[in-house]
Amino acid sequence: MQALKSKATNSLLASEKKSLFRFLTLYILMMMSIIVLISLFYYQNQEKTMFLSKRDMLSDYAYEQIKKLKILHDSFPAHNIYPRDPRFKSAIYDLEYVKIFSLIDSNDIDFNKDMYITDDNKIHFIKTLYEYYLGAKYLILEIPDDGQWKDEAWQNIFIFGGIAIILFTIIGFYIANLFLDPMRSSILLLDRFIKDTTHELNTPLSAILANIEMIDMTSITNDNKKKINRINIAAKTVSQLYQDLTYLTLEHDIHKNDENVENKSLIESRVECFDILAKSKDITFILDLEESYIYINRRKWTRVIDNLLSNAIKYNTRKGTIYITLEQNMLIVSDTGIGIETTKIPFVFDRYARFNNSEGGFGIGLSIVKKIIEEYNMQIEIKSRPKYGTIVSIKW
Amino acid sequence: MVRMFILWCAILLSLNATDAYDKNCVKCHASLPISLEKIFMQYLAAYGGKNNVKVGLDHYFRYPAKDISVMPSEFLNKYGVYYHYKNNDNELKKAIDIYWEKYKVIGRLK
Ligand code: HEC
Repeated sequence: MQALKSKATNSLLASEKKSLFRFLTLYILMMMSIIVLISLFYYQNQEKTMFLSKRDMLSDYAYEQIKKLKILHDSFPAHNIYPRDPRFKSAIYDLEYVKIFSLIDSNDIDFNKDMYITDDNKIHFIKTLYEYYLGAKYLILEIPDDGQWKDEAWQNIFIFGGIAIILFTIIGFYIANLFLDPMRSSILLLDRFIKDTTHELNTPLSAILANIEMIDMTSITNDNKKKINRINIAAKTVSQLYQDLTYLTLEHDIHKNDENVENKSLIESRVECFDILAKSKDITFILDLEESYIYINRRKWTRVIDNLLSNAIKYNTRKGTIYITLEQNMLIVSDTGIGIETTKIPFVFDRYARFNNSEGGFGIGLSIVKKIIEEYNMQIEIKSRPKYGTIVSIKW
Repeated sequence: MVRMFILWCAILLSLNATDAYDKNCVKCHASLPISLEKIFMQYLAAYGGKNNVKVGLDHYFRYPAKDISVMPSEFLNKYGVYYHYKNNDNELKKAIDIYWEKYKVIGRLK
């Protein structure tokens, strides 16, 4: 049971993957925007803190500078040297925002704020004068921004942002698992049920098949022959299903008992085996087989061929045709059946997938095919057009 | 010939322009204890920018009053408010423009 469980959890179904992917994109997008928002808020806060720490100092500078401006105002134009200070650079603008005099480097002044950082990393502090000495309403002080707070802020954003991302990812995986759990457990339940049933099927099925073989066909009437033939077909169908189910639920070792399989005769014998089934629907096989070999476990390869053939029969129309083409490295099985919609093709390999309610079955056939194809690194391609038929090709 | 005419016009115009201020203001103010320059700096400190100062001067010249004057009250008590407007808008505007240009701070700090 443990092995079964791990098998089921390891291989996500395509439909599972799709919903998982949707959830993860949404989750990541949300997580990212939250982190960005918090970082922005933090950054602005750091900037404010820095401003606060410099504001007092700059206010003092401004006060001194205004006093000097007043003295100059009173002695202008006899004195016309603008007062300079080594601790800062300054400029004065009048109330119409016309420059009166400027020593500062950065000329993109934002009169709407009283403190800000310019693009070229200068801190500007703007003080409004109540008496317009020398006509100045605005005194702008400029000091360089050492950028230390900025480095610190970025560093913290990276560290804490990184931790947050890791944390969120872990939580995300946990939630995703919670999401998938119900899906998985229902699949597990089905698996378990099928496994139990399969065991019970074994004995009666072999009894039926063995007894049909043993019937002496010469000693019975024609009418009864037909009936027995029908029983034979039914028993073979059940047997196919049984084979699939045992393959699915019992352990199968990877690459065990691989051998060089002669394809042509194998396919001919499988077609013969399905012949009675095909005849019941008036379906004709058209074979075009080249000499071809493949190195594979014969039992597994037979599962693949059987499933392709049984699908081609099952989903074919009455009086339809099945073409089987065998080339050096390729097997193509095409039918003239009901086909499937293109959008549904990616999901046909999902276990328990079924697209047609009129035909029975567990939908496990193609999932087995896919498993084997993947195990041997082969490629499978399905092309289909509703009402025209389906072409399945396998390359190796 | 044309050039001579233009030059002559320019000289005439500039003479006329300086006149508006020199003729109308300087003489009378020379007799007052506070210079026009100092008064200008007072206006600048009170009104700020170029347009504001000019509008302020214009307004005072038309509607002089003690409570909006920039002059100290002792001065006003001694000389009284003076009604500058002489029904000549053009002349007054020119005088104010010249007054601004003569004493403005912009471009004169070093
Ligand atoms: C006849 C004398 C006289 C003439 C001419 C004169 N002023 Fe005056 N001006 C005064 C006196 C007196 C005061 C002070 C009283 C007052 O402020 O109203 C004064 C005040 C002023 C003031 C201060 C206004 C204030 O806010 O109190 C300004 C500015 C001024 N003059 C500019 C001018 C200009 C410019 C002109 C030329 C267009 C001019 N004056 C022509 C006599 C004159």
